[in-house]
Amino acid sequence: MIKVRGLHKHFGNLHVLKGIDLDISAREVVVLIGPSGSGKSTLLRCLNFLEQKDKGEIWLMGQRVEPDQVNLNQIREQVGMVFQHFHLFPHMTVLENIMEAPVQVKKRSKAEAREQAFSLLKKVGLQEKADEYPDKLSGGQKQRVAIARALAMSPQIMLFDEPTSALDPELVGEVLQVMKELAQEGMTMVIVTHEMGFAREVADRIVFMDNGIIAEEGKPADFFANPRHPKAKQFLRSIL
Amino acid sequence: MNRFVESFVGTFSGFAKATWVTLEITVASLLLASLIGLVFAFMKISDRGWLRLIANGYIGLIRGTPLIVQIMWLYFGITHFIVLSKFWAGVLALAIHSGAYIAEIFRGAIQSIDKGQMEAARSLGMSYGLAMRRIILPQAFKRAIPPLGNQFIIGLKDSSLVAFIGVSEIFSVSMSEAAATFRQLEFYSIAGLYYLALIVVFSLVLHRLEKRLDKGSR
Repeated sequence: MIKVRGLHKHFGNLHVLKGIDLDISAREVVVLIGPSGSGKSTLLRCLNFLEQKDKGEIWLMGQRVEPDQVNLNQIREQVGMVFQHFHLFPHMTVLENIMEAPVQVKKRSKAEAREQAFSLLKKVGLQEKADEYPDKLSGGQKQRVAIARALAMSPQIMLFDEPTSALDPELVGEVLQVMKELAQEGMTMVIVTHEMGFAREVADRIVFMDNGIIAEEGKPADFFANPRHPKAKQFLRSIL
Repeated sequence: MNRFVESFVGTFSGFAKATWVTLEITVASLLLASLIGLVFAFMKISDRGWLRLIANGYIGLIRGTPLIVQIMWLYFGITHFIVLSKFWAGVLALAIHSGAYIAEIFRGAIQSIDKGQMEAARSLGMSYGLAMRRIILPQAFKRAIPPLGNQFIIGLKDSSLVAFIGVSEIFSVSMSEAAATFRQLEFYSIAGLYYLALIVVFSLVLHRLEKRLDKGSR
């Protein structure tokens, strides 16, 4: 589903990604962890070309993708993204936020898009908020709407960039719950998170990044019980 | 005081006609200026260097020279090449002038929108243009309204300068009345009153608009 080969990325003089190779198969849930500045978010953002890679290959759904390619938007439709700070559209109601891309990009009829939006809101437990504006919602509710908005494009892959890091602790659970259900339905997911309990429970694979490389990867049970890389050991000690 | 009222009433029909001309010039030039402003705002945020260069040159030239000079350039310059009435030469000069300031207002408003909005839109498969039109511009316009209103008020008052190329708007009527009667203070004050009245009305409309657009957040 996702294949990355020799991916490099610089920000000015900073070498953020130093040759990433990664394969993710369909229905797999991969959690990226690592110290801050290790390149997790940058890697995720490279996967839907919000950041342009400097070197390397990215294959999505069997196609090699380059940033200047004409159908990049069509490929992005199939890769949903959820951001740390939600980025809901503040001038639209919850329902309009979800309907926007299906209507404008996929040219669905409004009635059809509305119906779909309602069913997605039901899925994330927020039907009653359909006509509210985003500023009336709590952080957890905003993030659930953001997930519904991404799902409205029926993506094949979902990327989550620290989806619970901006939330009050008591609101984290409701978002993780939605993500867990999504994983159980077989969505291919790549998640950057600091929620280790969630990673252990939901991930098929943990990818530990340090200083721009993948330092270690493995099944969550193995990784959390016996980290081999010294940096991984140190990281787990510092957060658990 | 009596004399002032007399003068006011006596010239009312002339000034009323002139007020209408001032309004026409202002509305026409500001509509055109908004269009120019939008185009140059996009040029300024473009990633093509030559577009930014043109926009910066235009804005620099307009901000660096007095409006009255620009009006003269246009009136005496462009009429060598095309036939343009005083009215339209005035409208065009004012539009080109305000356009530079409005470009900066739009650019500032567009750039003030969190870049996460564009990223979210792009990640949903929207093209740059579609994301701009549906997501960024509606928010940017809302944010641009207070400074835009300010610029429109300046534009209304600046329209008085086209009196010097002979357009019969409020200020030019007051100039000829003052010259004919030697009652300068009186007639220039009357002109001031007409401008003040127009701006009070405009400010009220603007205030209403801002309140109505205040739904949603930010």
